[in-house]
Amino acid sequence: MIETIKKNKINVITFLAYGIVFFYNKDLFYKGLDNSWGFIREMIEILPAVMIISGLIGVWVPKEMIIKNFGKDSGLKGKLISVFIGSVSAGPIYAAFPFAQTLLTKGASISNIVIIISSWAVMKIPMLIVEVKFLGFPFAASRYFLTLPGIILLGYLVNKFVHKKDELINTESDLDEIIKIEEILPGFNCGVCGYKNCRAYASAIYRKSEEKDLCGPGNAEVIKALKSINS
Amino acid sequence: MNTVILLSASVLAVGVSYYKDQMKTKKSLMMAKGMFLNTAGSIIGILMLIGLMLAIIPPEVIKDLLGNSSLLLSGFYGAVIGAITIIPAFIAFPLASSLFESGANLVGIAAFITTLTMVGIATLPIEIEHFGKKFALVRNGLSFLLALLIALGMVIIL
Repeated sequence: MIETIKKNKINVITFLAYGIVFFYNKDLFYKGLDNSWGFIREMIEILPAVMIISGLIGVWVPKEMIIKNFGKDSGLKGKLISVFIGSVSAGPIYAAFPFAQTLLTKGASISNIVIIISSWAVMKIPMLIVEVKFLGFPFAASRYFLTLPGIILLGYLVNKFVHKKDELINTESDLDEIIKIEEILPGFNCGVCGYKNCRAYASAIYRKSEEKDLCGPGNAEVIKALKSINS
Repeated sequence: MNTVILLSASVLAVGVSYYKDQMKTKKSLMMAKGMFLNTAGSIIGILMLIGLMLAIIPPEVIKDLLGNSSLLLSGFYGAVIGAITIIPAFIAFPLASSLFESGANLVGIAAFITTLTMVGIATLPIEIEHFGKKFALVRNGLSFLLALLIALGMVIIL
């Protein structure tokens, strides 16, 4: 019970907040719901398509190709492809996270991941038209002109501070053992196994001897590799 | 319009994929479903909380902060408000233009738009889940600074 609440902390807070506002001011309650519906509609329109494309990339695009185009040696060309992908995309920034993570697990560099996420957020081509309409061409043009080098610099800086192994949050003991298991898993954090992410499933295998054939995206090889550890 | 293109592209891609390899396609759709439920489950609460927040905070307050007579302060306020909330672009730009007409500063608006979309305190938990704490904090922190720089740069250009 307590664990469920902890897992859904934000949902519980939201529920309580709406409850309080409902008794305090019904107008605000309905206005809040109305605002939210706009956001949720955007999510429903965009998210499934982005996830389907991420899934297809995960299954079809070979690792070598991602490393060649988005890896740490992909150079300026890699950065420009990243900007392009981000700026033709649709949807809010949280839609970029699972997509970017798929590329990351397939060998893209941190710097290019940051560029994709940032240009996804702030340099969208369809958005440019709206921006010109509302704020004028000089505003939009100078903003894009400054943002493009800014984003590339941002990718470079984040790459300096964050290394690939830092992505893993170091809160567990026996982390090395768990990471060893996690590295076998495909790393999509898709949740098919019933756990929140691959780390949680790896941890469950290590600690609670969870079944080793729960991974959906993982093929027979993954299951075989899992079964061969600590036995 | 963009949504239609995206949707047709994904349907087409699934069609081609299914024609080539049914098993792989099924696997990719299973992954897509998992990722969707994962993201949707953690984002809905956040979106509704922001919806409520925007209902409670009247636009006049935002307008006052962005219209602050000090350029630096209005830029800073713009960046902070933008960092906390996430608003879809099709709402953000009309809002920004009405703020501008009613006297908000250009610096404030530029900073507001940049952090609005690039920095997400509300989506931080989701970002941490995907990329880890360090990545999320460094990316958001640096993006915040970048937004201020872009805003200042725009004052010089315009």
